[in-house]
Amino acid sequence: MAEGWPKKRRILGTKVKRIDGPAKSTGFAKYSYDINRKGMLQGAVLRSPYPHAKIKSLDTTAARKTPGFKGLVIIAPMPLWLVVKAEGDTLEIKSIPNKKKKEKEIRRTVKVTPTVTILRANKIVKLADLKVDDQVQVEVEQDVVGRELFFVGDEILAVAADTEEHAKDVLRAIKIEYQELAFVVSIEEVLKNPDKKTTPGPQPGNITPGKEFFKGQAADLEAAFKNSDATAEGTYGVPVISHQCLETHGLVAEWDAEGGLTVWASTQATINVMNGLAGRFNIPPTKVRCITHYMGGGFGSKFAPYPEGFAAADLARRAGAAVKIMLDREEEITTAGNRPSAIGSVKIAGNKDGSITGFSIDCHGTPGFTGGATVNLGLLPYIYADGIPTFKRIHTVAYTNAGGARAMRAPGHPQNCVLTEFAVDDLAGKLGIDPLIVRRKNLPPNNPKADKISWAGRRNTVYNEQLDLATKLAGWKEKWHPPGKGKAGTVKHGIGMAIHTWGGFAAGGATPNECHVIINKDGSVTAESSTQDLGTAQRTVTAIVTAEILGLQVSDVVVKIGESQYGYSTGSGGSTTCPAQAPATLLAAQNARNELFKKVAPKLNADPKDLVIEPGKVVDTKNKKEWAWKEFCARLGMDEAKGKGEWSLAISNEPGNENISSGQVGGVQIAEVLVDSETGVVRAKHIVAVQDCGLVVNKLACESQVAGGVIMGLNYALFEENILDKVTGRQVNPDMEFYKLGGLGDMPKITVHMMDMPERGVIGIGEPPTISTAAAIGNAVFNALGVRVPFLPLTPKRVLDAIAKGGAK
Amino acid sequence: MNDSQGEPRGGISRRGFLAGTGAATAVAGVTSELAPATAAQPGAAPAHGPGPVLLQLTVNGQKVNTNVEPRVTLLDALRNYLDVTGCKRVCDRGTCGACTVTVNGRTVYSCTMLALEARGMDIRTAENLGGAKLDAVPAAFVDNDAQQCGFCTPGFVVSLRAALDKNPNATPEQVEAALAGNICRCGTYEQMRHAIVQLCKKGG
Ligand code: FES
Ligand code: FES
Repeated sequence: MAEGWPKKRRILGTKVKRIDGPAKSTGFAKYSYDINRKGMLQGAVLRSPYPHAKIKSLDTTAARKTPGFKGLVIIAPMPLWLVVKAEGDTLEIKSIPNKKKKEKEIRRTVKVTPTVTILRANKIVKLADLKVDDQVQVEVEQDVVGRELFFVGDEILAVAADTEEHAKDVLRAIKIEYQELAFVVSIEEVLKNPDKKTTPGPQPGNITPGKEFFKGQAADLEAAFKNSDATAEGTYGVPVISHQCLETHGLVAEWDAEGGLTVWASTQATINVMNGLAGRFNIPPTKVRCITHYMGGGFGSKFAPYPEGFAAADLARRAGAAVKIMLDREEEITTAGNRPSAIGSVKIAGNKDGSITGFSIDCHGTPGFTGGATVNLGLLPYIYADGIPTFKRIHTVAYTNAGGARAMRAPGHPQNCVLTEFAVDDLAGKLGIDPLIVRRKNLPPNNPKADKISWAGRRNTVYNEQLDLATKLAGWKEKWHPPGKGKAGTVKHGIGMAIHTWGGFAAGGATPNECHVIINKDGSVTAESSTQDLGTAQRTVTAIVTAEILGLQVSDVVVKIGESQYGYSTGSGGSTTCPAQAPATLLAAQNARNELFKKVAPKLNADPKDLVIEPGKVVDTKNKKEWAWKEFCARLGMDEAKGKGEWSLAISNEPGNENISSGQVGGVQIAEVLVDSETGVVRAKHIVAVQDCGLVVNKLACESQVAGGVIMGLNYALFEENILDKVTGRQVNPDMEFYKLGGLGDMPKITVHMMDMPERGVIGIGEPPTISTAAAIGNAVFNALGVRVPFLPLTPKRVLDAIAKGGAK
Repeated sequence: MNDSQGEPRGGISRRGFLAGTGAATAVAGVTSELAPATAAQPGAAPAHGPGPVLLQLTVNGQKVNTNVEPRVTLLDALRNYLDVTGCKRVCDRGTCGACTVTVNGRTVYSCTMLALEARGMDIRTAENLGGAKLDAVPAAFVDNDAQQCGFCTPGFVVSLRAALDKNPNATPEQVEAALAGNICRCGTYEQMRHAIVQLCKKGG
């Protein structure tokens, strides 16, 4: 059992300014995109211009003669081979079969021309230098002919040149021919022709049909729909959207003379990038250093090196120079992940007392050409699954010839929340009651068997309290009116709510997250971890926790994060960074302190057991003596005091550790909107977000993260959509002018209320607050108009179409 | 909004230049202290490039020079050739404001201006507001946590500083209007509003 968080907290939970704030706001902070190494080359990627095609021919002769040309790599994994024979211009190689996978040995004879590249130990070698049994990688450029490409933007090869301008010239000089193949980018077309196969993957057509899932029996559901006071039916939808990280994906790669690789990567997972590159280039992970000091947004899309990262490192090893590849905006939007769509036909039944009696949903969505996992909306009907007696769901994944999906901030949840919460309000409308009544009535119950401080043990209580707080802050009682029955006038006022949950974990997985705290003889303190700061203020979290334990100020702690050599840390996903790293830092600081006491106490004739830290000093409680921090640390002599902290899911589950970190939270959001019924423009006026969050580490950053989540949710609701052209298969808005994101003038007033629950320990808060905003806004629009605008984003056209179908005049 | 938007600039436009690459593009508006690198046709207006041309600028008070091809934007010249990276490349086509700098005191999306158009001019980036002394604008961003990943922040900070320089008595609404050309993905607008209120109270 760990010592835990201090009972009396000096800094934890207060408003602490980001320690890297000045560097970031004045442009001194160096992001991966900003790294300029000496002699660095610029890379660029050749991509498929077609949604589905085969490469017919490739000729790089002219490209290789273009001024500034420095290298070209085919983007593909490069297995190791053993040299059998190397003679004249002919290389004979054999594969290294994986015996466990029962692979067979393959042999290959390659005629070595200028477009064949042989690498040994990550260096280009000549045929003449090869010996039998040398391990080599061999790239035969012409192998790319015949390769099938599955979306506009599919990676083919990458080039390096001395300048970015020249890299683009080189790309233009490549002669490549394609055979265009049949493609599908519209989900309707996939559903019409499910057997048509234009995407990879094991499924026979472009579809993975959903399995029907039932709670209760089919007959129960039938009965519910027949016998309840009201039923509502609707088809609701959320489009494919993009992460739109402002710093695009990519990295700078540089090899050293000893065969080590350093990358400056824009990533949410320094360790994963390190391991990925080590595997790709057959070197031990300790030879790869991934640096991510600053990071310009990931939102779930940046967990690996990805094709552009592998290509940069590959170009760098061949050229013997640093290479930078950062995607441009179009590449970012079309190839670096998306959030899958979800379109669901929902039927919901309920009674006048607000109880939901039955729910069914038939849903489909597309992740693009790959990435089915994150469209699995297995939780339907969202929050209410435990409360509703019977429901049915089926979800079909439809693959299309578009870039593949990646996790995006609370994967599945925002879509799920919209599909459920829209139906709940439509039902309330049919029942003629306040939707607040329906929500209260169907909240999941507290599990009496669960620990009282756990989410399961208190969720009903928390949600009710959150509904109290949110309705009060939003003025629900005064402002809510029956749908479409607000004040007369062309600008309609509406108010709507939605609630959310997020699983999360009390740490990121099985491997312990590490933090190291070092106290030096001059009293200076360093905290080190490989974790990355995506904008979550993780660097500041590390300083806060260390300073709290050692009686220092936040500014006294030197924080070194974002470098893979500082030990294991989990990727920043699932809102697990803070709950994994804050406890690891806590333990590291406590262990460093104990080490300090152990080393210094004998020199002061004290017993380590009697020593305690108070702000700025160490106190001997028995002998009533005290030393200023620096004075005490000076007694280390030539030594230092080090502490290591480790935190994993297993450790968090050990008895007595439940107050240190937890997962699972809930939240309630209420949106107030104005809808111009003549122009169809929706403006959010005020959004209230009440969020449960365990022990708050930094109130300032925590509140801003919740507000940021709300704003991202508002963007989902009003602006964002990847629009693909059915004729060409290209995205028509792979940019920032037609792929809209709200600006300052689009923003409502945002009221954030954090429900502090220190007894639950630290909980991650990155994802939850973005889940319910879009649903709340959609419901507010319904409240304003009295008619449902069923598809997001709520564009003027969609609003006007809905009004035309019969809404507020 | 950038001051430069919608106003014709005397020089060559990026779009116009790219369209005319290699041909005798009209660059009459560019007054050059340099001899043109290529003269396309006798009697035609002088053209620069396509090879690198000497570029002299004053960046954050320091005279600097480098050689860039005429197609290089001011943003890319600063970032790739002069290692001034406070201006970020995000949309690269005049939508997001992350690349905002001031050129002779006026805010410009540096991705929409060719480097050669800025020859001899006074360029200020976000770095000019930091270093030894933190300017009140970035300080207000830090105080109110108006930044998360921070990638958009230097652009906002430059735009806001310029707006207040232009009108030290600007109201929060006026300042907000001046930031209409900047986009933040992390959603730091609520905190930005707190920062703006703090700055307007102080009078810039
Ligand atoms: S990068 Fe210049 S406006 Fe976006
Ligand atoms: S702080 Fe990340 S984009 Fe604005």
